[in-house]
Amino acid sequence: MANTLARGLSRDAVEELSRQKGEPTWMLQKRLHAWDVFESTAAPLGRRGDLGTFRAMANFKYQEVSPYIPADGSGTLPAVIQQSLQDALVNERAGHVVQRNASVVHVELDDELKRQGVILTDLDTAVREYPELVQQYFMTKCVPVESNKYTSLHAAFWSGGIFLYIPKGVEIEQPILSQIWIDSPASANFVHTLIVADEQSSVRFVAEYNSAFEDEQPSILNDVVEIFAKNEARVEFSNMQDLGLNVWNVTNKNAVHEKDASVTWVMADLGSKVTLSNIGATMGGNGSVAELVGVFFTDHDQRLTMNTLSDHAALATNAETLVKGVLAGQSRVEFEGMIRVQPKAQQTASFLSDHTLLLSKECRAESIPSLEIGANEVSASHGATTGQIDEEQLFYLMVRGIRREEAERIIVQGFFEPVLQRVPLENLRSRLRRSIVRRMSGTDDLEADTWVDAQERWEIEGVDEHAISLDGTKPEEEIKLTEY
Amino acid sequence: MGSELIIKNLHANIEGKAILRGVDLAVKQGEVHALMGPNGSGKSTLANVIMGNPKYEVTEGEIWFKGENILEYSPDRRARMRLFLAFQYPMSIPGVSVANFLRRSLEAVREGNKPLEEGDNPSGKMAKRKSIPPREFRNLLQEKMRLLKVDNSFINRSINDGFSGGEKKRAEILQMALLEPEIALMDETDSGLDIDALKIVSESVNALTGPNLGILLITHYQRILNYITPDYVHVMFNGRVVKSGGKELAFELEDKGYEWLRPAEEENEVSING
Repeated sequence: MANTLARGLSRDAVEELSRQKGEPTWMLQKRLHAWDVFESTAAPLGRRGDLGTFRAMANFKYQEVSPYIPADGSGTLPAVIQQSLQDALVNERAGHVVQRNASVVHVELDDELKRQGVILTDLDTAVREYPELVQQYFMTKCVPVESNKYTSLHAAFWSGGIFLYIPKGVEIEQPILSQIWIDSPASANFVHTLIVADEQSSVRFVAEYNSAFEDEQPSILNDVVEIFAKNEARVEFSNMQDLGLNVWNVTNKNAVHEKDASVTWVMADLGSKVTLSNIGATMGGNGSVAELVGVFFTDHDQRLTMNTLSDHAALATNAETLVKGVLAGQSRVEFEGMIRVQPKAQQTASFLSDHTLLLSKECRAESIPSLEIGANEVSASHGATTGQIDEEQLFYLMVRGIRREEAERIIVQGFFEPVLQRVPLENLRSRLRRSIVRRMSGTDDLEADTWVDAQERWEIEGVDEHAISLDGTKPEEEIKLTEY
Repeated sequence: MGSELIIKNLHANIEGKAILRGVDLAVKQGEVHALMGPNGSGKSTLANVIMGNPKYEVTEGEIWFKGENILEYSPDRRARMRLFLAFQYPMSIPGVSVANFLRRSLEAVREGNKPLEEGDNPSGKMAKRKSIPPREFRNLLQEKMRLLKVDNSFINRSINDGFSGGEKKRAEILQMALLEPEIALMDETDSGLDIDALKIVSESVNALTGPNLGILLITHYQRILNYITPDYVHVMFNGRVVKSGGKELAFELEDKGYEWLRPAEEENEVSING
C-alpha cells in the first residue's frame, strides 16, 4: 500500500519511495545517483539582469511539500476530473492515460494496437515488465539525469509516468491522450513521459496538464518528456499547460531524432504561477526535422521562461521554431531560443521567430534568440518582435462600432491566428481560442452565449472558405468519385 | 426628420499644432457634400476628429449629430449612431478575416447604444449581444457584394492585409453598404485609384446614395466629381471652410486652382508649407 511521503526532500525519502514501489535495485540505484547529482548541483540562477524566473524557481519551498502523494485507493475520481475527461481535447483516441498527482489511475489502449505490439502503460509497470527498454531509454541520452538540478530531482522522485512504445512500421492514426491532474495542495509531482517511436512508425500524442485545488499552499509539477524518434519515425507532441496559479511548473522536454525522423512540439502555456520550460530537439540523424510551435498567454503575476534549443548534429537537418505570446497584468516572460549548428551539420536549415504582444504597461518581456554556427553550409535566421497593440488599428475597429475591449480582443486573436493555424489538433486550436477569449474578457464567469458566439465567429472563418458564392448556391461538399 | 451632422467652430490640435481653426459645416441625410481643398488644409483631420480619433485634441467647438453633442463620445459610440468614416488609409489587421470583422461590426452597429452604458464597459465583461445568424449575415453580405461587384475570395482574407489600393477602397465601400450609415465621411476615397477603379468605386457610391444617406466626400481632386455629383461643394483652407457653393464651384476650382481662395491674412504662414 502506497503512502504519502512526509514533507521535504531527503535521501531517505528517495529510498522509501522506491521501497514502497517494490522497485528493482537498478532503479533504486538510479534514483540514489540522481539524488547525489541533485545535492551536488547548483540551481540555475539565470543571467544577470534577467526577469528573475530562474531565481524564483530556485526558491521554491520543497520543505513544505510532499514529494509523493499517491491517489487514494478508492478508484473514484473527483467530479472536476471526471468532467474534464468528457471535455478532453481528444474524443476519438487510440489510447488514454490519466495521472492524478503521483499515480496513474487509468490506462486504455486500442486492442488492435495492442495486437500490433504497441505498449502503453504506466512507467512503474514498464520498469517491471520491460526493464531492458526502460534501462536503455529512461533519462539516459534524451534528457540525462545530469542535465540540470531539476532533471536530477525528477529522476530521484519520478512517480506514475507514462511509457509508450510504438513498434517498427506501426502508424497510429488517432491521437493518444494523456491527462495529468494535480488536485493536492503542497505536493511535488514528478511526472515522466517516455515515448519510443521505432523505425517508420508514427504517433500523435496529446498531453494536458491541469490542476484542481483551491488551497493557497502551492504545488509543483516537475515533468520530463523524452521522445526517441527512430529512423523515419514521425512524432507529434501537443502540450496544453493550463495549471492553476497555485501550481509551479518546471519542465524539461527533449527529442532525439534519428535519420529522417521528424518531431513536432506544440506547446501551449496558459497557466502556472512560475514556469521554467526547456524544450530541445537533438537532431543526431541525417535529414531529421524538428518543429516547435509555441503559444503563451500570461496574466497577473505569472512568470514564464522558455528556453528552446535546436541542436543540429547531422547532415541536412531542418528546424523551425515559432513562438507567439501575449502578456497582460504584471506578468513576465523570457524567451531564449538557441540554434546550434555543429561543425558536421552541413546543409542545415534552421529558423526561429518569437513575437510578443504586451497588453499592459506593467508586464515585461525579453527575447534572446541566439545562433551558434560551426558549419559553413547553413541557412539560419532568427527574429523577434515585442510591441503593444497599435492605436490606429484600434481606432479603425472602433470606428466600425466595436467597443474598445472587444477591438483589443479581435487584434489579439488576429495576432495569434497564424500560429494557431500551425496547431495540428483542431480541438486544441479551438480550446486555445476560447482560452484567449476568456482571458481577454477578463473574467472566468463569461455568459454562455458569449462562448457560443465566440466559437461561431471563429468557425465562420473556416466554414466560409468557399461558402459564399455569388449565385447563392451551396458549395459542393461531396467529392466526386471520378476524381480518383 | 432626417439626421443631421452639424459642426460648429471646431478647433483641433495634433501634438500641440493647430490643424482645425474654426470649422463650420452641416450635412443632412440625403445630401452629398464635397469637401475640397489643398493638401494640409485639414480635410482628413476634420474626418478623424468627427469620428473621435484620440490622436487629435479638440480645443474648441462642437459636433452635433442627431441632436446630441457627440464630442465626448467614444469612436465606437459615434459609429453605433450610424456615423461612418471610409478611411483614406485603411488599417490592415492581420489574422482577422473580413467576414468575421464585418459580422461583428454589423452586430455592434445594429445594437446601437441602448444595451450598454456610454463608453467603456467598466466590468471589462463582454456585453450580452444579439448575434446575427451566420446564414442571415451571409445573405446580406452576398447581396451587398453583388451590388458592389466585389469578389468572393475577398471576405476570407485578413482585413486589408495585402490588399491593393483599389481593393482597400472597395472594402471600405462594402463596409459602408453593409453598415448603412446615416452620414458617411469619405476621406480621399478617390486617391490612389486608376481610372477604372475610380469608376467602379464611384458607381458603388452612387448605388448607395439616396434619401437615407448623407455623404461628406473629401477630395483633393475634382475628377471624382465627374462621377459623383455633389449637391454642395465646400473649400477648406488652413483649417477653415472658406467657401461653399453648388456643384459649379467644383468646376471653377478645376479651372482656377485653390490659390485664389487663400485667405489674405494667412499668406505668410502658409507659404512655409508650400
